[in-house]
Amino acid sequence: MKRKAFMIDTTRCTACRSCQVACKQWNKLEAEATVNRGSYENPPDLTPQLYNQIHFIEQDKGDDLRWLFINRRCMHCADAGCVKVCPAAGALYHTKEGMVAYDQKKCIECHYCVNGCPFDVPRYDENQKITKCHACSDRIQNGLAPACVKACPTQTLKFGDRDQLISEAKAAGKKLYGENDLGGLGVLYVLDDEPGTYRLPKNPAIPASIFFWKDVVKPLGILGFWGAIGVAALHYVTVGPKKIDDSEDEPRKGGE
Amino acid sequence: MANYIDRFNAADRILHWAVAISFFLLVLSGLGLFAHTFFDYFDLFGGPQQGIFVHKWSGVVFLACSVLLFLRHVGETCSFDEDDRKWIAKLGGYLSRKEQEIPQGKFNAGQKLFGIFAIIAALIMGATGFIIWDPTAFSRELTKFSLMLHGLFFTLFMVGMVVHVYLATIGNPGTLEGMLYGQVRKRWAKKHASKWYRKVVKD
Amino acid sequence: MTNHWIDIRNSDVVLIMGSNAAENHPISFRYVLEAKEHGAKILSVDPRFTRTSARSDVYAPLRSGTDIAFLGGMINYILTNELYHREYLQLHTNATFLVDPRFEMPGDLDGLFSGYNTDKRSYDKTTWNFQRDASGVPKSDSSLQDPSCVFQLLKKHFSRYTPELVSDITGTPVEKLDEIYRIYGSTGKPGKAATIMYAMGWTQHTVGTQNIRTMAIIQLLLGNIGIAGGGVNALRGESNVQGSTDHCLLFHILPGYLPTPKASLKDLATYIKKTTPTTNDPQSANWWGNRGKYITSLLRAHFDTNLTTDDEFGYQLLPKLDDGQNASWLMIFDRMVRDQITGFFAWGQNPACSGSNANKVRQAMAKLDWMVTVNLFDNETASFWKGPKMDPAKIDTEVFFLPVAASFEKEGSITNSGRWAQWRYQAVEPLGNSRHDSEIMNELQHRVRKRYAAEGGAFPDPILKLSWNYGFKLLDGQVRKMDIHAVAKEINGYFLTDKVVKGKTFKRGDLVPSFAYLQDDGSTLSGNWLYCQSYNAGGNNMARRSLKDPSGIGLYPEWGWCWPVNRRILYNRASVNADGVPWNKEKPVIWWNGAKWKGDVPDGGWKPLSQSGTKKSFIMLPDGVASIFGAKMKEGPFPEHYEPLESPLEKNPLSKARINPAMKLFYEGNEKLPQDVYHNSDQRYPFVATTYRVTEHWQTGVMTRNTPWLLELQPQLFVELSPELAKDRGIGQGELVKVSSGRGSVDAVAIVTKRFRPFKVQGTTVHQVGLPWCFGWNTPNAGDSANLLTPTAGDANTMIPETKAFMVNVEKARG
Repeated sequence: MKRKAFMIDTTRCTACRSCQVACKQWNKLEAEATVNRGSYENPPDLTPQLYNQIHFIEQDKGDDLRWLFINRRCMHCADAGCVKVCPAAGALYHTKEGMVAYDQKKCIECHYCVNGCPFDVPRYDENQKITKCHACSDRIQNGLAPACVKACPTQTLKFGDRDQLISEAKAAGKKLYGENDLGGLGVLYVLDDEPGTYRLPKNPAIPASIFFWKDVVKPLGILGFWGAIGVAALHYVTVGPKKIDDSEDEPRKGGE
Repeated sequence: MANYIDRFNAADRILHWAVAISFFLLVLSGLGLFAHTFFDYFDLFGGPQQGIFVHKWSGVVFLACSVLLFLRHVGETCSFDEDDRKWIAKLGGYLSRKEQEIPQGKFNAGQKLFGIFAIIAALIMGATGFIIWDPTAFSRELTKFSLMLHGLFFTLFMVGMVVHVYLATIGNPGTLEGMLYGQVRKRWAKKHASKWYRKVVKD
Repeated sequence: MTNHWIDIRNSDVVLIMGSNAAENHPISFRYVLEAKEHGAKILSVDPRFTRTSARSDVYAPLRSGTDIAFLGGMINYILTNELYHREYLQLHTNATFLVDPRFEMPGDLDGLFSGYNTDKRSYDKTTWNFQRDASGVPKSDSSLQDPSCVFQLLKKHFSRYTPELVSDITGTPVEKLDEIYRIYGSTGKPGKAATIMYAMGWTQHTVGTQNIRTMAIIQLLLGNIGIAGGGVNALRGESNVQGSTDHCLLFHILPGYLPTPKASLKDLATYIKKTTPTTNDPQSANWWGNRGKYITSLLRAHFDTNLTTDDEFGYQLLPKLDDGQNASWLMIFDRMVRDQITGFFAWGQNPACSGSNANKVRQAMAKLDWMVTVNLFDNETASFWKGPKMDPAKIDTEVFFLPVAASFEKEGSITNSGRWAQWRYQAVEPLGNSRHDSEIMNELQHRVRKRYAAEGGAFPDPILKLSWNYGFKLLDGQVRKMDIHAVAKEINGYFLTDKVVKGKTFKRGDLVPSFAYLQDDGSTLSGNWLYCQSYNAGGNNMARRSLKDPSGIGLYPEWGWCWPVNRRILYNRASVNADGVPWNKEKPVIWWNGAKWKGDVPDGGWKPLSQSGTKKSFIMLPDGVASIFGAKMKEGPFPEHYEPLESPLEKNPLSKARINPAMKLFYEGNEKLPQDVYHNSDQRYPFVATTYRVTEHWQTGVMTRNTPWLLELQPQLFVELSPELAKDRGIGQGELVKVSSGRGSVDAVAIVTKRFRPFKVQGTTVHQVGLPWCFGWNTPNAGDSANLLTPTAGDANTMIPETKAFMVNVEKARG
């Protein structure tokens, strides 16, 4: 199956937040008690009950005030840090559409995945199991658009064939974020400014420490372990053990 | 028992075996977290959640016993002299069958270095283990660094352990006895720790 | 809307002013963005930089209540730079008509038109008339040169609205004015279209009607009425408010915009004679000449059909207004507070939060003997007696709460802003004891009728003779279950007798095909002539769902049904020249193929204007053309800028007339109520304030505040203010502040934002703040309604309250 993706054109977003609410409705997520902190943005961050959210960014460039909006969620990376760091086989996985989904039954509650994520996305529910956007995998398997996409009134959010979305956007002269990062993100953005303005990393990558652990320490460690055993065995049959000659023991000098 | 002299008392031996047992529990219960290749090791404990539980608490035991054990021998372990330098230069004579007399104290230079490595590694594993006890409790950067360090020192520890086990068992016959029931043969002591032997005999 | 939602995509320029479409009509932005994608310029004019502004090409700020100055400047710009569509003006408007030479304008009379009576606060409109020839047809000068012609008067009147003066009034920088004027004015060329999307930001002012008039004049000057992507488009604030207005939501109209009878219109014949406009122009269709047919058919729908001509079909059973009586919203609560109203139905509404000067509204309710609230959820109206500042022990109002079904729980039609009546179906059964509105009405009318039948009482006939043929009747006469299709068929209308009309034979009971077949002899019945055709022999046209669009401009003629007679763009005969050729050949609405009109349903099927025997294009107006000169308005045939009742300025920078000279004043005379205070140019209330809605909540929030997912997004009342004002008042981001006016105060969370900026007005700095009115005390920790601050002041023509411009103070909340 061809890889699918979200295309999020921030230049079309009106921050109506239908995506936020539609997601909660479809995924049966609880509402949370919030307060106004001097902004429209609420809740303040992703939570176990909030899989996607709109950031409101006020930008003052002299005379030209801008109000930028961006839908933030799991980026469904091809080279996904969370999948990489997850110890439990099948707990985090790529669906056949290329989306990063999860199986809570297999989740071992280790909480590693959020540390493997360059975008700080995974959250943990009251059972300590991972929760995050899974691209409504139950919907897309049945040929429906994810709930957020379905609810979007301005076609800011689109979901479809990844290559086609990319070529359409490029044909329209739009600059993309995430086309090649991390093996190609499953969430592509059309941005109106630098990624940093939208609180996105300029060059997202799997955290260096996680890369070092999984791609350097792990293979070298396994090699080192078996290497040490090999060396010991080799030592034993070549140099040999330092034996103590029993005959040289001192004769008994009577009971002490 | 004239052939034997006391090397480790009961407290030392209990602490050592507590360290050893908790270490192997840590290894077996931690392998599943280290890489998904080893995920099935959790089956030994009845499942990942149980494995993680064992890992966390045997870590506490391991760290506590390691620290106690180290403190009991901190003086002997952390003092090096000219003989130790020679021992290190000759790599303890392990590279040839030829008998080489390098006078050593209760612990030879290699054992001392391993002891220092072990306590440092145990402290690092303890500290990083504490941070990743709940991987969402501390800052993301600190947690990620701790995860990496925990993995790195785990592999170093494993290599060190292979060497330690080899040298303490078949590599140096007679050594294990000291840790099993506290006494070693005098011949063993003269051969491996002549300075200590002389001191003990003199006393 | 003269046009409809989808049609916005056909625009070259979209002006969003007096509305915040992105936030309050989110779906509309699909079409705005479609237009933008095709190269259209989106202009946002608002006191505050909104989510609409965020998606616009140009944003211009303006001080609340100065829209006429802003738009007047645009008229001046269009006329000065000759950007108007001359041929359109000559063909389709009264720009060429000659006005009474005695007519004088505000430039000469210091803010007033000729004929003003200070005591009555009203105009004698004698001089506001056209010069007419011997046959009574208005005189005109097609060259537009005569100094008495409407065009020249318009030019003279708006020449006073120079960019500098406009900027000094509105606070909009001159270069922003210029940019907006230039872009909007560019659509005066044939083939170009600009649309206006407005809402309560324009209507809820003491000059609300004139705000819209000003824009209508601009659209006529640029030839933007009747064309695809043009029009004057009111974005209605509720999904069916268009439908409820069509069906007489307001006190002064009966269904289908027939005037409510007045006491002086003694009988049906007099009513028809006095309310039917006349014309002497043979080229004017004067469609309202059909008034008699429509009112007769309506009476037939209301009352027993065995009433005869002698009974005037039940005309005497209709309620009548006293001559000069105003029974609008503000007056309901004014009378209530004065103990002149005994009982009140708050059906699907929450006046305790939605009513301007909500403290007055809440106090008024305490004067009632009884109140019935019909709603989905408990609300501030139903529970007003236990609200803030209320002592339940002292309130004798008996309150009844009737739970009603939600939209998903009932079948029926709703009519959207674009006049599309769309049928929808019941998805789920109503919860608990809640019922369909029609079932509540059914039960209510049955019980009231039974009591009248048993006990008589004063004037029982309007009740006893009311027809109620909406389903199978039980032995006691009660309809067992309301048949909503029977209601829809009655609204459309049917024949009461066998009848031949226009050569077609109809049998008793046949549905009337369209309003052209309605009769004034009692042989037809129609609950609303405008909806005649919605449900006819072809079936329920409102339920149609065809995606066919032969026009290619998004008319979708077989999707739902649209009044009148499925015409998707009103005044579409103005989209063509005298020969029937569209101004815009790429997006034609209608065109004459030599024998008949093609495209949309033409606004009057007569031949093109260059041919003989035709009728003019604005068929609802007696003169047959659009009114640039609109003598029907209370405060003048041309719009003039007046300050809001409460403003930061002591004087109107334009003239000596500070406020709308024709508006009703609640704050004068012996009968002044203590609640009706106002403070103009008063240091105690130094900041301009406005109210608005947010995407996340709907109206007073009764439905949305009870939807936890939405409350999560916008949990609390907030006030938006500029960093300059926040600094001045020592207010930090997210801090609780007290906002107060002469009428009341609310506590709100401060959102300090550059989206509000101080205005430079008359050489001084004017700060403006804004609050949403979607919160109420009934939701814990949410705060109360911003309408506690708003004044009792209404538009001169409609009496819609002025909630969009008033004065407040902002300070840190104590404790």
